Amino acid sequence: MDFDFSDDQESLRDAVRRWVDKGFSFERRHGIAKSGGRTREVYAELAELGLTGLAVPESHGGMGFGPIEAMVVCEELGRGLVSAPYAQGALVAPVLLSAAPADVQSAWLPKIADASALVVLAHQERAARYRLNHVTTKATKAGSGWALTGAKSVVPAGDEADAFVVPARTAGADGDAQGIALFIVPKGAAGLAVRGYPTQDGARAAELTLKDTPATLIASDALPVLEHAVDAGIAAVCAEAVGVMDKLVAVTAEYMNTRKQFGVAISSFQALRHRIADVKMQLELGRSMSYYASLKMGEPAAARRRALAQAKYQLCNSVRYVGQQCIQLHGGIGVTDEYIGSHYFKRLTMLEMAFGDSLHQLGEVSARMQDTAGVFA
Amino acid sequence: MDLNFTPEEQAFRAEIRAWVAANLPKDISHKVHNALHLTREDMQRWAKILGKQGWHGWAWPKQFGGPGWNVIQRHLFEEECALAGAPRVVPFGPVMVAPVIMAFGSPEQQARHLPGIMSGEVWWSQGYSEPGSGSDLASLKCKAERRGDYYIVNGQKTWTTLGQYGDWIFCLVRTSSDGKPQTGISFLLIDMKSPGITVRPIIMLDGSPEVNEVWFDNVEVPADNLVGEENKGWTYAKHLLAHERTNIADVNRAKRELERVKRIAKAEGVYEDTRFRDEIAKLEVDIVALEMMVLRVLSAEKSGKAALDVAGLLKIRGSEIQQRYSELMMLAAGPYAVPFVREAMEAGWQGDQVGAAHCAPLAATYFNYRKTTIYGGSNEVQRNIVSATVLGS
Repeated sequence: MDFDFSDDQESLRDAVRRWVDKGFSFERRHGIAKSGGRTREVYAELAELGLTGLAVPESHGGMGFGPIEAMVVCEELGRGLVSAPYAQGALVAPVLLSAAPADVQSAWLPKIADASALVVLAHQERAARYRLNHVTTKATKAGSGWALTGAKSVVPAGDEADAFVVPARTAGADGDAQGIALFIVPKGAAGLAVRGYPTQDGARAAELTLKDTPATLIASDALPVLEHAVDAGIAAVCAEAVGVMDKLVAVTAEYMNTRKQFGVAISSFQALRHRIADVKMQLELGRSMSYYASLKMGEPAAARRRALAQAKYQLCNSVRYVGQQCIQLHGGIGVTDEYIGSHYFKRLTMLEMAFGDSLHQLGEVSARMQDTAGVFA
Repeated sequence: MDLNFTPEEQAFRAEIRAWVAANLPKDISHKVHNALHLTREDMQRWAKILGKQGWHGWAWPKQFGGPGWNVIQRHLFEEECALAGAPRVVPFGPVMVAPVIMAFGSPEQQARHLPGIMSGEVWWSQGYSEPGSGSDLASLKCKAERRGDYYIVNGQKTWTTLGQYGDWIFCLVRTSSDGKPQTGISFLLIDMKSPGITVRPIIMLDGSPEVNEVWFDNVEVPADNLVGEENKGWTYAKHLLAHERTNIADVNRAKRELERVKRIAKAEGVYEDTRFRDEIAKLEVDIVALEMMVLRVLSAEKSGKAALDVAGLLKIRGSEIQQRYSELMMLAAGPYAVPFVREAMEAGWQGDQVGAAHCAPLAATYFNYRKTTIYGGSNEVQRNIVSATVLGS
């Protein structure tokens, strides 16, 4: 039991932090958001640092790092409020592709590693909410390949992506765990329509419709792969949230120490001091559960799923409380667009929606409860 | 980063588990698992079993007769004891006064007091709070005046937990009224059989005489019983508080009690009720998060790298969780939380139960646990401390 980071992990953290300090100011983020939220340029800079190959095996041109390194990077990207589909493109996609036949892996993983291809998961459907087994998009045999028909919703960076990993049903009914296959569909494929739009936190997403769209099979009966990939996404989101919260709390403390009312710094008022103590509580509980999420990524599926649901439930509550209260502690300036605090808040809010909100995760935790309890249960 | 304990630590845990299984009396663990009334004899029997093994002072260094365990081993020991249903060790002797005597006491005081604490023979109480000095402890008035080889103590202490059983009491007393209140306080060890001491139990809201008022009327205390220097007692008391740390979160007991919540919810037919079950699920996440926070502190202490300033958070969260599990158990009992049949909280009672036997103590525990956010520095005082770590002052 040891929660210290290795020297290599600390170096990785420093490298990301240095890039953030130099290359990603709030003005840059603001500019990206105002001009529509396109972030491929930022993503390419992360690739130059080698970060997009972090989770790709070395045999495919990546670094082959594990969940702790991913956590370190995501914390720093969160701290810098960096606009880029990093978790999606660099952490979720490699897990999905890891289940593919060798030739498909060779075709895509090196491109994921050097960011020449941004591959994103397109799994959400209109009525599925966050349930991964609710898949109505149909896959049918078409000659030697497959064709997909259906629609996918709120696909992150959808109109910037080069390819999509699409869960579709080869058998069974909506809600069945069996009969869900994963396919890869390049942009521009026949019958694929992509309608992009900006998101609340200054990035982009898209609606996808597929009509007899040709697709390459990654794996059939692949719900476990999809769950694994989403868990990697959850761990990344948790870590990013910790980074964002760290920074927001620091900014808020600084504001409380400088803002004066009634002739004194507002940090002298006990009502506000107790609020910031509660904020600190949610931050540290969140950090603890973010560690837990990444440390449990290597566990067998059942234990991993339970742990990741617990972690995301905590982080959902933490981001909401920390976000809301830090805005409140700022007073009027907190609800303006020009101030960075509101951007931290909006990013935190969107992180709750990523891979399952608090109510969804509570349901997962509740359904997976056992008689014993605790970290090692 | 690694969540798992080392093979050596796991072997240590197995050893402790086997020892506890072989040595913890079944009648005592039965009471603990079912929140039945523990007598002084129960508590002291377990203390002496631990003492015989040299583990009543499980956090002590070897030099003072302890096992010399590191922070991880201590944690594993506490966890195995808690999960097996051992009573919580009464902390005043082995956890609170002993480290002060080790750090600041004279060799004579160490030789005189430490063996009796380790063996579980001598029961210690704590004399800190006074009627006018709760959160503002430094304002305490209980006075000790030096007269020759003695201090003459006059005043009153209160909230003295289990003080009715105490053989000795360690007290913060006022020896000077010059300067800041903190600078005139001394740390005194007092034999509770001394003439002039009166102990009066206070009946708590659950009907239990858990705490006491202690009166001092011209009590003669040998000057040799002063720990360290006169007027330095506040420093020693702070040292003592620093020794609570992860202990105060009591997460191991929370894990055991969560299992009990689930057992009771199943027996009372609410475990499959979504509204109730979700409340248990929330508590489960709270406990995992608290345990992770405790493990982070232990890891930091073990490696000595980045110290974690989260003692206040552990106190706040741990106490809130204790209140919440007691609350959920009471809610699980529903209408059967209403009867107050004192005998039903005694082990082996043969009378007619109202509802299931496990319902009898639930409301009493709920009432009793309101104390957890008040004692040990109220949670509001803790929030003041936490806010200073965020705001820098």
